Amino acid sequence: MGAVALIEVLERDGTPRHGVAVPQWPLRVGRALDNDLVLDDPHVAPYHLVIDRDEAGAFVQVGETINGALLGTQQVGAGGRAAVGDAPLAITIGRVHLRLRLAEHALAPELRLDPTRSLAQGLPLLALLVLLVGAMEVFNTYLDTDPDGFVRALGSGAISALVGLLGWCGVWTLLSKLFTRQGHFGWHLRVALIAVLAWELISGATQLLSFSLSWPWLSDFKFVLGYAVGATLLYFHMLAVEPYRHRRVRQAAVAMALVGTALSLWFNWQNGDRLGSELYMSHLFPPALRVAKPVDTASFMKGVAELQATLDAKAKRKEDAGDDDSSAEGGGGDDD
Amino acid sequence: MRSPRTGFPGLIQALALVLCSAVLAPAMAQTAPARAAPPDPPASAPVSLSARKVYEQARSQLVQIRTVLKGQASQTSVGSGFMVSAQGHMITNFHVVAEAALQPERHDLVSVTADGREAPVRILMLDVLHDLALLKLSDPKAAATFDALPFRPEAQKLAQGERMYSLGNPLDVGFAVIEGNYNGLVERSFYPQIFFAGSLSGGMSGGPALDQEGRVIGVNVARRVDGEQVSFLVPAAFASALLARGRDAAPLALPAWPVLTEQMMGHQQLLTDRFIAQGWKLATHPRYQVPVPPDRFMRCWGSSEPSRTGGLDFERSDCVMDTRIFMGEFTTGAISVRHESYDGRKLGTLRFSARYAQSFRNEHFDRRRPDQQTRPQCHEDFIDRDGLPLRAVVCLRAYKKLPKLYDVSVLVATLDEPKSGVQGRFDAQAVSYPNAMKLAQHYLEAYAWVRSR
Repeated sequence: MGAVALIEVLERDGTPRHGVAVPQWPLRVGRALDNDLVLDDPHVAPYHLVIDRDEAGAFVQVGETINGALLGTQQVGAGGRAAVGDAPLAITIGRVHLRLRLAEHALAPELRLDPTRSLAQGLPLLALLVLLVGAMEVFNTYLDTDPDGFVRALGSGAISALVGLLGWCGVWTLLSKLFTRQGHFGWHLRVALIAVLAWELISGATQLLSFSLSWPWLSDFKFVLGYAVGATLLYFHMLAVEPYRHRRVRQAAVAMALVGTALSLWFNWQNGDRLGSELYMSHLFPPALRVAKPVDTASFMKGVAELQATLDAKAKRKEDAGDDDSSAEGGGGDDD
Repeated sequence: MRSPRTGFPGLIQALALVLCSAVLAPAMAQTAPARAAPPDPPASAPVSLSARKVYEQARSQLVQIRTVLKGQASQTSVGSGFMVSAQGHMITNFHVVAEAALQPERHDLVSVTADGREAPVRILMLDVLHDLALLKLSDPKAAATFDALPFRPEAQKLAQGERMYSLGNPLDVGFAVIEGNYNGLVERSFYPQIFFAGSLSGGMSGGPALDQEGRVIGVNVARRVDGEQVSFLVPAAFASALLARGRDAAPLALPAWPVLTEQMMGHQQLLTDRFIAQGWKLATHPRYQVPVPPDRFMRCWGSSEPSRTGGLDFERSDCVMDTRIFMGEFTTGAISVRHESYDGRKLGTLRFSARYAQSFRNEHFDRRRPDQQTRPQCHEDFIDRDGLPLRAVVCLRAYKKLPKLYDVSVLVATLDEPKSGVQGRFDAQAVSYPNAMKLAQHYLEAYAWVRSR
């Protein structure tokens, strides 16, 4: 009884592989067989480090090693020393991850097993999602095909949707299995279905609103919402691959959405001299859904007149940038 | 809108300028050798006595105009030309000298006579609207040995079917005389052009077409590649007017973009005035007044395409101009009007809307390179036309080398019926901003319900 500490060898995802109770100080760690904890990793020195205690408390003393040790977030070289502190300390030596917990460290509360299961669970919800997405696919196929080709298109559409969905979820299941040893197929399926549904609703709503209210900018910048949905989708998928790194995953998802949006804006600017993705609003709905009041031709033409300044500025700017035509532009002035 | 079907004779860009060039116009150069290889029986028929006489008379006034790459002495394009004054003035096509006129830092112009004497030439004046250029020998002493070809007086009209002879240097093979017939002026051309029933080939551009007395009737300019012996000449009156205007002019300051811009300004004003003055055709749709221009200088092709799969039935009308102004790197200066009328009763409201929107989306604007034109800038809204609601989009692009000239495109979709509608598109190239506005408004205001409703 009365171990002074527990030292654990961890898997890559943080689950303990092997734990050793430390009966007394010091604890010697290294590749040599006379250590208290023997680690047979070629990147570990024979006597890599010693954990001991003095009046100030427990500390780690790094021995003769070329690689040093990573203590918490601090890299300590040969001969270095660091206090353990008042929380369990993560130690990395060579390619081995260790965790040191002292007897006096406060015990963290028990975590719920598999936090990924907290989102929508159960067969009825899954069935509802499948039904909704299926109905939406049928509706989209209906819109896109002529009456004579509808049934045939429905068949091929259903097959490709199914293959796409299962392929996508299959890859994520494989990743989950690889990193957490559990597939979480049901989770990935729900995430994918919700994302498809959300995107279709957002996309339909923005198009309808941009037509109805004559707000071209709404569908022009729809891709921003697309990146948001995509990043959220990846975030929830990743939760079942890296269940203990919520914050890191969230940061990655936000970064992805921002980078994607920025790249799209840049691409649009390069491609069309404008930030939006649509040159003009081309989503036409049944006339009854139009809310915006039509204007008369004269006031419409006022809007056209305002484009001239922009066009002239753009025509001018590129002229100045042009290399071999500078002489032509010089002659152009006196001709006007 | 649906993309144009290739089976449409009127939609094919079949007009080729008869310039022989490896760089400028590969399409023209490629089709020509293929035709030239097997000698056509009519073309190889013995030249008549008068053709021989005409050629012998005109031989010393004929030249080949070569555009030569500076510092490399290899030719980038060749055309033909002819002497019109004892001082060494020559007439050719603008498109023969366009490279030298627009990129003088890279190109030189050289004239070569039938007996092989080469001499450098300079450009005095351009008439880009009629595709003509007035040149002069750089060294006037060399001109002393040339006679000028006389112009046939305008008062002496030619009769249809009269023999005429087109001269030039086809495909850089050698000077040739081609017999053909005068067939009056080309119909529905914006500027007058002579319809010459004879075989022009690449390289003959700028050469003279002569009557039996050896007087100039016109200048070789283009041919149709989708027909046989359908060739075009610029009437001699424009060439003699250019000579009169530019006889004593100083050599043109190059590059010639300011001249092109100035002449295009005149063209777009004339085009806008004539287009607006001619009004619209009546009874183009049972429900709406849909703008379709009269066939004065435009040609309208229509087609009806009922769906074979129980879907959308539609009819279309495409009105285009044959006349385009050659600008060296591109052609411009034309107007086109088209519309499609959709009937989606078999589809239902939702399906029709989806198809109608798809068609509205399927429009393209980027035609020219970014160094020639800006990207389009658009304005859009719902418009009320005496109660008829329309979705309208007006997009404009500015020319970078033709300052203050713009391409304008107008898209229109009617929005009063849930299962049918009309979508129209109007395009005018290289017009001033006020005229672009005027034309767009003229087009938009032509939409309305048919009065009897």
